[in-house]
Amino acid sequence: MKPYKIIGWLAVIALIVAIQPLDRSVEYNRLILGLQQPTPWFQIAARGAAGDTELAVTGVTGVIVGAALGGFREVAATMLWMKTHEYWHKGEALQAKSLWLMRLVTLLDPHWLEPWRVTAWHLAYNLYVETDDPELRAKYLQMGVDCLREGVSWNPDRYDLYMELGWTYFDKVEDFEEANKWFKAAMRYPHPEYVDRLVGHAYERMPDVPRALDAYDYCLKRDPQDHTAKGATLTIRERYLWPWYLAEQGRYDEALEAINEYLLAKPSSSLGLHVKGHIAERAGKLRLAYDTWKLAGDISALDFLAQNKAVELAHELGIETEDTAQYLYMQKMGKDLKVTIPGRDRMSR
Amino acid sequence: MMRPILRVARATFHEAWRRRFLNGILLFAILIIGSSWVFAYLQPGAELQMIIDIGLGAIRFFGMLIAVFMGTRLIPDEIERRTIHTILAKPVSRAQFVFGKFLGGAATIAVNLALMGIAFYIVFAIKAPEFAAAKPEDAFIFAAMYSNIAKAIVLALFEIWLVLGIAVVASTLFSWVLSVIFTFVIYFVGQMSDFFQQLSDPGRGASQIAQVLLGALYRVLPHFEIFDIREAILQGTYTPWGTMLQTMGQGAAYLVVVLLIGYLVFNEREV
Repeated sequence: MKPYKIIGWLAVIALIVAIQPLDRSVEYNRLILGLQQPTPWFQIAARGAAGDTELAVTGVTGVIVGAALGGFREVAATMLWMKTHEYWHKGEALQAKSLWLMRLVTLLDPHWLEPWRVTAWHLAYNLYVETDDPELRAKYLQMGVDCLREGVSWNPDRYDLYMELGWTYFDKVEDFEEANKWFKAAMRYPHPEYVDRLVGHAYERMPDVPRALDAYDYCLKRDPQDHTAKGATLTIRERYLWPWYLAEQGRYDEALEAINEYLLAKPSSSLGLHVKGHIAERAGKLRLAYDTWKLAGDISALDFLAQNKAVELAHELGIETEDTAQYLYMQKMGKDLKVTIPGRDRMSR
Repeated sequence: MMRPILRVARATFHEAWRRRFLNGILLFAILIIGSSWVFAYLQPGAELQMIIDIGLGAIRFFGMLIAVFMGTRLIPDEIERRTIHTILAKPVSRAQFVFGKFLGGAATIAVNLALMGIAFYIVFAIKAPEFAAAKPEDAFIFAAMYSNIAKAIVLALFEIWLVLGIAVVASTLFSWVLSVIFTFVIYFVGQMSDFFQQLSDPGRGASQIAQVLLGALYRVLPHFEIFDIREAILQGTYTPWGTMLQTMGQGAAYLVVVLLIGYLVFNEREV
């Protein structure tokens, strides 16, 4: 080999070695500045491999792979999303292949909010009702919640997914404390006004009467014409504030008497029953609390909070019962459903 | 020393504009970029993101196609037409010839990208404010987009120059079809270079030889994904000029490596 060639090839090797520190620095800066592609290819491939490989490739046509590799990730995501619509119209929306495709869309384009919303809805709502097994239902609930949490981590400066997550906790899990955590997070960003009211609704259903009134107060200060907040404030003051006040004073019997008076007129009021169950629990009248929560849960098949409370009290009282999906989910999350007795200073009204 | 290089470059530049298929690719790219706002409606609520993805994606993709198809023809055409003998008979060294050819191609690509960039800016300036107005919460991201798009086009230019360099070198090594395939493979594999890094991880269970080979591939291959800052544009993240310069520097360094290899190979080749 001629000397210039040896020198040339040595220079090539030296240059490649010299590029490495620069390469590491660029990679580091891209990581720090958030310039990297949302989900690296190896992570997408690893997700596919972790699941059913056959399912992973269903619907992912050459065109889609080509679009993704050619640098059109969002186009590929849109094409896959259209494919999931196709499955939807064939009645196969809840099949694993369709759900995997939806997940793939969230991986390809994690800043597109709709796929997060729809995927989580399919998991926590639609797959949930496909089975009667509480364990499976609890699993689907968790998958839906986890999906939205991941979506939030990708889109932390938008209200949408905080709100969706809060709503799933509110409506499907009925963990109102958790729901409010996410509704309040949504309120930090530009949001529609109904999100503010949801905070009040969650406190109302918990129930936490003073905080519900505070939340509606906030809504009314922001918009004095907010009829929903106005109506809710009047209802709370009229029906629940007095029993709650008595309970705060430790006058439980009087409090129960006061709420019973209201329940005489409206025996199936779920909020009235919630307040009664809460007061009975605080008073240590666990059997009465159990009966009240059980009644509320039986009246409304969707009153998961009442059903959970009834299950928990049944366990405590040694009553045979069947665990609900929500109860199993809350247990798994290490949630304590017991009533926490607030300090007197919270009773500001 | 520079004069012969510039003469070859100028001739290459003029010749490139006479190639119909390159003009066709450019026209098609501008058509796609121009209609990017139509595709935007496919992603309700994320129209701005879609315009950026299609517009900048098209600039990178079609720029890459131009680089591959032009780069792999630059030297072989001269050999086939035997004009290379005339050129090299003049006081033009092989190094000057290779570099001049690359420079002419690079100038062609720069003009192509500028045209695509202008087309994209026009579409963006017309349609994006409409989409941005529908989502006031994106106002901050939108404001940062104009300057970020320019930065993305500059980085795309370096990426495509690197592809052109690889195509020119490939054409001195292989037949036309093979050099096209080779360049495409390097480009797509370079887009997924992090894959090799992950696979070379001892925890992945690959054999030691495979680990060394994959690790070496990761180190040697250009990392094309570093030229893509669409994520920053979509998130309204500021891309510092320091990072830009580092990335351009890395592209330039790889380009030097590629052209040096090209020279070493071409210098020994019989023409």
